Amino acid sequence: MKTTTYGLFRLCKIHHAFPSSIDLMHGFSLGSITTYGTIIPQSPSVEIGKEFTATCVLYTAAKATAEDIYWKLKNVTVPKEQYTKINDSAVSVTITITNETANWLLCEKKGSPLNRNQVIHGILLTKGYPPEKPVNLSCMAVQSGQKISSNVTLSYISVSNKSSKAHRSSGYIDFGTFPSFMQLAMWVEVENKLGKVRSDILDIYAADLVKTNPPSDVNILSENNFSRTLLVSWKHPIHVTYVTLKYNIRFCTVGSGDWTEVPPNDTESYKESFRLQYLKPDTEYVVQVRCIHHMGYGYWSDWSANSTARTPEDKPTSKPDLWRVIIPSQVKSERRVQVMCKDPVESNGRIQGYSIKIQDGNWETVAVNDSDLDSRSQERKIIPLYQIPWSDKRRGLIELKAWNSVGESPQASLVIPKLTQEPPSVEWLSWFTQQGRLWVKWQPPNVTATGEPYRSEVTEYILEWVSVSDGAMDWQRERRHTRTAAIKGNLQKFNRYNISVYPMYSGWTGKPLTIAAFLEQGAPLEGPSVKVRRTGKNDAELEWMEIPLDKQRGFITNYTIFFITGGKEHFVSTDTYSYTVKRMASNSKYVVRVMASTVQGSTNSSDLSFNTLMYAPGQIEAIVVAVCISFLFSVVLTMLFCIYKMDSIKKKIWPPVPDPSNSTIAKWSPDFTSKADIPKESALGDVSIVEVDVFDRKSLCEEDKAGLPLKKDKYLSEEHSSGIGGSSCLSSPHQSVSDSDEGGDEGQTTASTVQYSSVVASCGYKGQTPCPLPQSGSSQTPSFTRSESTQPLLDSEEHPEGPESQRYLRNPYFGRLPGGNNGDSGDLEDLNQMEMKKQGLALRRFCPLEEDFQQTTPTEEGQSPDGQPGPDPSYMPQLSGYRPQC
Amino acid sequence: MSGHVKNMYPQLSISQAASTLLSLLLVAAIDSMNAGIACRNQQCESHIQRSFKLTRLIHMESVDLLKIYKASQGDLSELFCQMPNNIVPDPNISGLDPSERMLSIYSHCKAFLPHLKRVTEQQRDLQPPSSPLLNNLTTAQYRTSGLANQINCIYQTLFPNLPIPLEPVDGPTSIHPSQNVFQQKVYGCVVLKNFKELLSQIRHELRTIKNQMCKSRTFAYTNALF
Repeated sequence: MKTTTYGLFRLCKIHHAFPSSIDLMHGFSLGSITTYGTIIPQSPSVEIGKEFTATCVLYTAAKATAEDIYWKLKNVTVPKEQYTKINDSAVSVTITITNETANWLLCEKKGSPLNRNQVIHGILLTKGYPPEKPVNLSCMAVQSGQKISSNVTLSYISVSNKSSKAHRSSGYIDFGTFPSFMQLAMWVEVENKLGKVRSDILDIYAADLVKTNPPSDVNILSENNFSRTLLVSWKHPIHVTYVTLKYNIRFCTVGSGDWTEVPPNDTESYKESFRLQYLKPDTEYVVQVRCIHHMGYGYWSDWSANSTARTPEDKPTSKPDLWRVIIPSQVKSERRVQVMCKDPVESNGRIQGYSIKIQDGNWETVAVNDSDLDSRSQERKIIPLYQIPWSDKRRGLIELKAWNSVGESPQASLVIPKLTQEPPSVEWLSWFTQQGRLWVKWQPPNVTATGEPYRSEVTEYILEWVSVSDGAMDWQRERRHTRTAAIKGNLQKFNRYNISVYPMYSGWTGKPLTIAAFLEQGAPLEGPSVKVRRTGKNDAELEWMEIPLDKQRGFITNYTIFFITGGKEHFVSTDTYSYTVKRMASNSKYVVRVMASTVQGSTNSSDLSFNTLMYAPGQIEAIVVAVCISFLFSVVLTMLFCIYKMDSIKKKIWPPVPDPSNSTIAKWSPDFTSKADIPKESALGDVSIVEVDVFDRKSLCEEDKAGLPLKKDKYLSEEHSSGIGGSSCLSSPHQSVSDSDEGGDEGQTTASTVQYSSVVASCGYKGQTPCPLPQSGSSQTPSFTRSESTQPLLDSEEHPEGPESQRYLRNPYFGRLPGGNNGDSGDLEDLNQMEMKKQGLALRRFCPLEEDFQQTTPTEEGQSPDGQPGPDPSYMPQLSGYRPQC
Repeated sequence: MSGHVKNMYPQLSISQAASTLLSLLLVAAIDSMNAGIACRNQQCESHIQRSFKLTRLIHMESVDLLKIYKASQGDLSELFCQMPNNIVPDPNISGLDPSERMLSIYSHCKAFLPHLKRVTEQQRDLQPPSSPLLNNLTTAQYRTSGLANQINCIYQTLFPNLPIPLEPVDGPTSIHPSQNVFQQKVYGCVVLKNFKELLSQIRHELRTIKNQMCKSRTFAYTNALF
């Protein structure tokens, strides 16, 4: 009944949670509950994975039969196949319990079409697993006061749920009195609603449970004259009648933590003191003691608290660690030797000083201050003793002894050989890191017995390491057969060390072999400092400085040049500090950085930007030079062409103008009156009358005047001549063929025009064909041709046989040349050209009929070489007629 | 005497058990009295050695117990212990051969148990509950019972063909039904004195028996232990 009420109450709570089951309220009335049936069993505990059978029994109030009953797991109807009809009012159901099975199992009555289903009863299924068997039982009883505690802690491993992992549980049992010296049988029973299980029996002796307190009052006694022993005493933690104990002792030096245990056999007996032996003098030791049942039952107690004591001092029993550093001296053939040492490994007390002797000198004492040395520290400090100059040719022996308050140490010696007699070094040297330590490996030197003063056998090795960053150095000694050794010093990560291995030959120091090493490498601390050494049009040369050794933090494996703007990379070996980048675009901006890499990482430099050049260096100069050369070449060609074609050009530019001074008019008869004999044009077919404007007779030189007496009074001034044009139009000196008074008024003469007259040979076309010379001047009457042109007569007409220079000189156009020297024909030609240009300009300006004038030239050239006119002179009328002076 | 069961008080397992669906009832059972179990796989020297150590422990505790008893009885405590009392069993071990002496030891242990129990009950009325005397008296009973079982085990081991009589060899000890406080204090002191003497004799007897019975096998070893 109680269970039923409980079930209904729980069901009522669930009813509120599920309104669909509101029909459950049918049996209720205020203060009373009407039940229509029940389920057996009530609120059972079911095991997951097992089958469970429940039976629904209908009461008469239900007004239903077994056929009306169906089962539900929460809201899910259980299939009819799982039902078993027991009788007309009872139906059972069998379900398999799983983790997903609903907690509520309901028995319902099928309702009529008008009524909904009615819940008869419901039960709450409590799912779970039966307990698992506890295993691995263990018990412990600790000491409480002067007895063993009656509370025994029991622990075991149990699995409370099949789906969960095993875990260790524990509890305690209160015995009231600890069952000393009794045999116990212990087990653990675990029980829940689904079952009960018992562990295996633990048959155990009571002493096996005991864990006593550690020994108390542990005391250490240091005795004088026993520098290597300490007497340890303690008290039993518990009376022997409870537990007979044995002990365990361990000790270590202060700060080391490296415990040394006394052999258990030495402390098996039930004792309260023990003498520690073979200790180091003047060393502080920590001692701990623990205990356990003398037969090994039970548990070791905890270690006792630390007890500390120092052993007495003793005289040093090992040599001081003598070493030297050779310092290069500025003095030639001399070194400086820094003698240094470390305390003896077995200093056995505080070293108060050293006695040193160099070669045959006296023993000298070097006291060590307290501040310089702390023998209690584990680290052996380096003590600099002497620094003395040492000749390269000197060999010497250094001896050293250390002393403390008790006595002196054995003597250490070191031979510094001559520089030329240093024993050989090791064959090779390498390094590696392992387990956080730096190891050095070497090959011993290959030495043979020779006549050297040292023994050929290596007695030991000295490993010396120097920090590159701060110059700190240290050394250690290794045995003669050692080939690999770990550096024992406190090396820093990312720090470069130069490690040297010195083979020692009975105190003689061999040559060192040095190698650089890192305990651990890292990325460089900073990138290289980059600058642009040179920029070109398509290339640039970058230059960077080597990263300082203390900032490299590793071996630089390579440099990588990154072009941020171009996205290119260039790898450069580690021994290169400049690089020329090619195939760059001209006149472009580049941003570049250099990355230094080690095996552990890389570090970039700062970005560097630069611009490439538009022109390559020298390119502008090459262009200029090429242009100049081309220009000069063209000029030379032009000049050569001009020289080669000078005649033709000259003829084109300066048509040959007859020299009036050589004109035959000079031979013209003065008594031949012009007016009376002026022939008519039709009658003077072979006579040309040239009207010459003579107004500048000054231009004629004296030689001409002397050579041409006939014409001297007919020279005209050329002061106003300005060229060909001028000569033809304005002031060209012309020989006047007129017999008019030349001494007359010049203004009148200037204003008038004088016609040239020339004798034209009549033979050949236009006088070009030479005519046979007449036998006599009188045999043939020359014909005169009157020319209307103002062109002066060509010199060739008058002196065809004369030199050209003479012709030019006599040409009035060149009469104005200073000095009248015709020796420099080139200058003369240049000047002539310049003059010609001027005159040409004037000619073009004032004489547009120059062509006509030139057409007359062949006629004039047609004169015979002797100036005689041709046999068939003809009168060549000027096409343009007589032109007045401008 | 069958073993007894004690409830174990879980420590760490409490919170873990609470998380499980089903509650767990943990029972730790111990059996320190069952001679059948205690005698299994035990060797002569081991039995006697343990019994000897236990006797030594009980003897040491009996000395302390007597001191505490005297200290807790107030005035005339020395006088109480000098009064004769005939109802307390004689602590002397009797018998001619080892088996008889072993049997006598066992009987004396059994005989003293009700007296110790009676003294404990009496002192519980006389002493405050926190008095160490009560705890020591309880411990003495507990250890004496254990010693008796061990002697029984040794006897069965050494003399498997000799039965252990149900009643003590010296006959059942009579306990006076009613005593006044003075009588109780005198009775208690005499019981503890004789108990201490008994344990002393048991130590001696066990050493002798050990030497006689286990000498051939572990003579050197047991000598070292003792």
